[in-house]
Amino acid sequence: MTPAPKLAPVAILPSTKTSEAMDPVYRQIRDLIYKVSGIYKAEDKLYLLADGCGRRMKQLAARTPREYWDRLTAAPFRDAELRELLNEITIGETCLFRSQPQLDALRKVILPEIVAEKTKQFTKRLRIWSAGCSTGEESYTLAMNMLEESDRLLKGWTVEILATDLNDRSVEAAKAGIYGDYALRSTSEYFKRKYFSTIDSKKLQVRPEVKKLITFSRLNLQDDSRMLFMKGMDLIFCCNVLIYFDATSKIKVINHFFSNLNFGGYFFLGTSESLMNLNDKFHLIHFPGSIGYWKPSLSSGKL
Amino acid sequence: MNPYINAKIHDRVQQIETMPAIPTVFLPLLKMLSHSVEEVKLDEVVRLVSYDTTIAAQCLRMAASPLFGLAQPPKSIKSAILSLGLRRVETILLTCCLGQAFPARNWPLDPAVFWTHSLGCAMVCRKFSEKLSASDDEKAYMAGLLHDIGFVVNCLVFSGEFEKVMEHACREEIPLDEAEFALLGFTHSDTGYALAEKWNLADDIKEVVAHHHSVEPDQTMQPLAALVHLSDLLCRMRGLGYGYYERQKVDLIADPAWAILAREHRELDAVDLVRFTFELDEAVEEIHTTVATILGSAQTLIHN
Repeated sequence: MTPAPKLAPVAILPSTKTSEAMDPVYRQIRDLIYKVSGIYKAEDKLYLLADGCGRRMKQLAARTPREYWDRLTAAPFRDAELRELLNEITIGETCLFRSQPQLDALRKVILPEIVAEKTKQFTKRLRIWSAGCSTGEESYTLAMNMLEESDRLLKGWTVEILATDLNDRSVEAAKAGIYGDYALRSTSEYFKRKYFSTIDSKKLQVRPEVKKLITFSRLNLQDDSRMLFMKGMDLIFCCNVLIYFDATSKIKVINHFFSNLNFGGYFFLGTSESLMNLNDKFHLIHFPGSIGYWKPSLSSGKL
Repeated sequence: MNPYINAKIHDRVQQIETMPAIPTVFLPLLKMLSHSVEEVKLDEVVRLVSYDTTIAAQCLRMAASPLFGLAQPPKSIKSAILSLGLRRVETILLTCCLGQAFPARNWPLDPAVFWTHSLGCAMVCRKFSEKLSASDDEKAYMAGLLHDIGFVVNCLVFSGEFEKVMEHACREEIPLDEAEFALLGFTHSDTGYALAEKWNLADDIKEVVAHHHSVEPDQTMQPLAALVHLSDLLCRMRGLGYGYYERQKVDLIADPAWAILAREHRELDAVDLVRFTFELDEAVEEIHTTVATILGSAQTLIHN
């Protein structure tokens, strides 16, 4: 095998050069979005934010970023406009295998930990919740990765994945499990061949043995009475959903997640999303290239 | 540590001074950095930075990098000092010198990877220090930059043994100091401390070099060493480590160093660590570029 060619060091600074030329209002908008939603648009992704703002400005016929800033901050349009902008900047973020570092942490660190902990309690059942599953990309990614472990770490285990979303149409699309190139852009040939069947030249469908692991249903995360029944989770994923909630609702939903998790379980947000210190019971854990929140196990003595 | 090993480290570290590549300004610079900023004269710093034209040009270029804070390249060393402050210009000079000070041949690791970790850690330390309104952000930067200096010592004067250590650490995915201790009986903290003593670095920097790995809850660690320890861990989890993950999971807030730092700085609890992590990610590309620039001109120097 020939060794991979050594990469030449990057000699130019595209990120800083573009942001230098960028209207400083975009940094203000970035900070506002973070404060309100917890989504952080990094310096080198500011152009994506600017693109999103650009599309909104066109819609609103706003002439300058400063004028758009006024729409974003002045009542009565403020809340509605923020929601529109959040839609713009998170659109297209959903795809299968969106964060490989997160999946690595899941299989290398978290699963072995949870399996060891639950084996002590004589249970062989793993419960995962994809809260705000949208059209199912994350849920199927999790299911396939669990199936990969079914001969090893999870041999003899029962894996249940609950996938919920507020939007009926999303839930229906998720159940169908049909994806095109864009959603599959990060999915390897190995997974495509093993877990999908071909529908036509452009679309693949998730196979029944993957679907079998998942129960899709409609759920409003703000419905307290139903949230009380989502107990006994080992892992909860909630990606780019809390960003739309106001501070009070965020805190309430996060508290639900905390109590719905088993001791020793983990909670994950989107890759550029932060809990913003809204909950001090979760432990913030850094994995190589990803971040998760841990509910300390009883044996850790860290409660 | 046993006296035999101690003597061996001391003996080998003595060889470092005779190495030809250390820039002339390096040792006077270290001396200047050990004085308080009130004692340092602006003209002396200008003279020191200007002494070597390659280094001076590099310093000006670095001053214009977003990592160091100026939007426009400064016209002169003096204007850089006026906009950035004496201490920051000194630490920029230190960064340039360090990158060029050591012949980077036959290292068991790509020198760019090493300096990327050191510069990354320096940046994170300074940023961390700023968030805590700690007294001396440039000291934090310097501590971060120098914390693993023993790694360089090992590369230079224990090269054969150290190559085996690196291989062992990467293969087993264990922390470098564990691998060193198992194979050599001492670590880069020990050799770094010996070099720091030889260079007469300030006591708190020496402590960082010696103790940035060994944080125990009951230990009387200084806040600066705690800050470097946490920054070091964070860098390693965000792709600024030595190319392998020696730890798969880090709980910074539960780390004993966090409690040590929190005792000194009440602001620590309010720090949004997730946002801090995202901000670190933003600087990664720039850190790579800066290191490539420094090492690039070091190569030119060697070839000339």
